[in-house]
Amino acid sequence: MSSEPASARTAPRPSVAIPSAEVGTEPQVTSTVLDVRGLHVYYDTFLAVKDVTLPVPHNKIVALIGPSGCGKSTVLRCLNRMNDLIDGCRVTGQVGYHGVDLYDRRVDPVEVRRRIGMVFQKPNPFPKSIYDNIIFGPRIAGVPKSQFEELVESSLRKAALWDEVKDRLKASALGLSGGQQQRLCIARAIACSPDVLLMDEPCSALDPIATGKIEDLMHEIKVDYTIVIVTHNMQQAARVSDRTAFFTVDVNLDSDRRTGVLVEYDTTQKMFSNPSDERTENYVTGRFG
Amino acid sequence: MALSTLGDSRTRERVEASLAGGRDASGTAFKLVLQLSLVLTIVILAVLLGQVISLGWDTVATRLGSFLTAESRSRAAEAGVFQGLRGTLWIALVVTVVAFPLGIAAAVYLEEYAPRNRVTAFIELNIRNLAGVPSVVYGILAYTLFVQALKPVTGGKTALSGALAVALLVLPVVIITSAEAIRAVPSSLREAGFGVGATRWEVTRAHVLPYAAPGILTGTLLSLGRALGEAAPLILVGAIPGSVGYDGALLNPGQLREQFTAMPIIIASWSTNARQGFDQATAAAIVVLLVVVLIANASAIILRNRFEKRR
Repeated sequence: MSSEPASARTAPRPSVAIPSAEVGTEPQVTSTVLDVRGLHVYYDTFLAVKDVTLPVPHNKIVALIGPSGCGKSTVLRCLNRMNDLIDGCRVTGQVGYHGVDLYDRRVDPVEVRRRIGMVFQKPNPFPKSIYDNIIFGPRIAGVPKSQFEELVESSLRKAALWDEVKDRLKASALGLSGGQQQRLCIARAIACSPDVLLMDEPCSALDPIATGKIEDLMHEIKVDYTIVIVTHNMQQAARVSDRTAFFTVDVNLDSDRRTGVLVEYDTTQKMFSNPSDERTENYVTGRFG
Repeated sequence: MALSTLGDSRTRERVEASLAGGRDASGTAFKLVLQLSLVLTIVILAVLLGQVISLGWDTVATRLGSFLTAESRSRAAEAGVFQGLRGTLWIALVVTVVAFPLGIAAAVYLEEYAPRNRVTAFIELNIRNLAGVPSVVYGILAYTLFVQALKPVTGGKTALSGALAVALLVLPVVIITSAEAIRAVPSSLREAGFGVGATRWEVTRAHVLPYAAPGILTGTLLSLGRALGEAAPLILVGAIPGSVGYDGALLNPGQLREQFTAMPIIIASWSTNARQGFDQATAAAIVVLLVVVLIANASAIILRNRFEKRR
């Protein structure tokens, strides 16, 4: 793992330290759950994302926004090493998790994903019963069978799905509506009692009512979890997140290669009312070009 | 026309003329050609089946029991396919036990574990080529490998050697069809598994294999049905085109290390037998083989439906 190349740092950006009012007087190690520093992501030799530094504070919702191809999903997938599954994907820099670098050689990505759960763009329940969907994670993690019933109920309650499915837990998850399926996927992630939830455009396949339910849900569960969400929908970022990171695409005119860069990262309020960078302002006001 | 003429009638006529079809003559011709091809295929199959069944019907109808339990004899009226049927069942059993697990395991490795690089691509290409190699060539390979080199294990020209030859023949097909079934598993399903902290093995066992099972089963059992009709590799491995000495037991493991025959061998040898009555006996033997293959294919469909209901 190379350390961040200092020369690659670009536009001015809020410092890594988090305003103390938000997190109390705890040292940074405990207040920052995920500490991304100088992250570069390559697909084979192609640089997909350049030099991202992004501290994620505890029990906050961080939104990653930006145009298509800006690498926000790629960055998200680095946070629980889902990118390991893509052939040719290579990561340099650091992703600190409570002070441990997730890309350290001794770290097992399977263990990482048990603590940092993920909800995907398209609802992807297992083609099994609702009950089996919830307990798959806990079962492979060695949670005793006697706790399954309780775990299923509490996870589904947290995901605001219990009342709708409590009478048909043994029915196939594929019989649920899209919005219900996505809440089931959230419940499934919660059942593994993760520390962080990563959400990759979780509402892009849902109608506005289902989207509203998921957004309410995010507000409710953020007391227990730290959430990082990728979204195409700026209103959604404004509604749900505490902090927002804006990414854009740098086009190399010689090779026509597109590299994602982090433009600005700040409180959501500042990002949407008074951003420091002109590109952010153009994007959030809809004048992106 | 039932519509009342609201607008002026000239407009209506013009619209009516422009809406009338009939320009797609080449499309109609193409459809006819397609239908003709289908009809031709079905007619050829039906004629073949009809001929075989009408010729063999007498034997099947009058003495099915003795035909299935008697050995191959020089008099057609007394000849039976027992030993051929037994050999074919042995082959089916060994293929199921040896080629299916090996082939499915290789497919799982290629699809789920192997890195996507040139070596893997080269191996996959070669497996595809192997699937196209004529079955006689597998016979030669099986002869050197199983009959000669592994004689201490197989006992030479035995049922085991023949069955292993057929297992070798279907192995590439099993790998290819299984790999295709595994590739058809949506990647979102794998991501879901990895996303809750499952290992590669847990994702494969709990999600990928159950999802791919119907496709794997269909492909492998169909390839088995196809292989049971192969005579060429068995001839090279030394199948006996007649009676192998009567042993009443249906499946006694000791038979694996004895000389053997099989349905396609019996059919081939009877079909060249000029004695009276062997035409009918050959046709009846073909009917028996077809029924065996039909059973393999039907079980593929039943198992697939059962697995699909569960997923």
